[in-house]
Amino acid sequence: MTTSSLSFLLAFGAGVLLSLMVLFNGTLASFGSLLFASWVPHATGTLVALIFLALMRPQKASAKRPPLWAYAGGIVGAFTVMATSYTMNTALALSGTIAIGLAGQMVFSLVADARGMFGLPQKLPSLRDWTALALIVAGSLILIFFGGVA
Amino acid sequence: MIWFVLIAFLGGASVSLSRQINGRLSLSTSAMHASFWNHIVGFGLLTLMALVFGGLFTPGIKDIPFWAYLGGTVGVVFIALSSWLVAKIGAAQTALLIIAGQMISGVVLDILTGAPGNPAARTAGVALILAGMWLSQRKR
Repeated sequence: MTTSSLSFLLAFGAGVLLSLMVLFNGTLASFGSLLFASWVPHATGTLVALIFLALMRPQKASAKRPPLWAYAGGIVGAFTVMATSYTMNTALALSGTIAIGLAGQMVFSLVADARGMFGLPQKLPSLRDWTALALIVAGSLILIFFGGVA
Repeated sequence: MIWFVLIAFLGGASVSLSRQINGRLSLSTSAMHASFWNHIVGFGLLTLMALVFGGLFTPGIKDIPFWAYLGGTVGVVFIALSSWLVAKIGAAQTALLIIAGQMISGVVLDILTGAPGNPAARTAGVALILAGMWLSQRKR
């Protein structure tokens, strides 16, 4: 599975956006409740997405209606917030939560890709993909536990 | 302890799950539609929780700096991007590159804001991540 340079840059850029989200929403949580810190970005995000839709008028890719479960991403996202807020305040702390969460994310992604779950294309990782995975996960764990990230 | 580990693991898996669900929605609609539905459904659920449990507005919120309210705007672009990516390059590749971007920019933000951290560990961590990215992107 080779990745085009554009997808590669956009995915890396999305990771940078995620860092900014953690900073912004984490600041909300330090002044208000966890509920507030999740409610505010969902409220403003809904408005901003409506503005983007009105400006961009993106074409719908298919006239067929998607299955109902395809609208459940936001519900699963709310579970993520609850699960991580809970484990952050246990012996795992933030670093343990992020490190184990990273493992959960990669294991589930690999299984889903290999089986082509959720109507998405099937992708089997090559030996090189596994090596890249090991390097990035090792680097991330060093940063999480020793580098002060999280 | 095993219970906490399980919840933390499921928390991570749910990141990938919601990304794939949004990716599936973007295949029928568009990446921006998927981002809109992700936000409005989450907003509805969180509003319901606030009505049931309370605790949404606490006294401290009047002191929040204005820039902290930008998370939702960034989030719309983030969800749209990741919905598009997961359908194009797969869940594992998307997750790996987003993690790489998050970790490296996290180090940069930490250095800019003067957060404490071991410089040797930061260098080693970033070097390993860059090596992994180079390997995954190198032409065969």
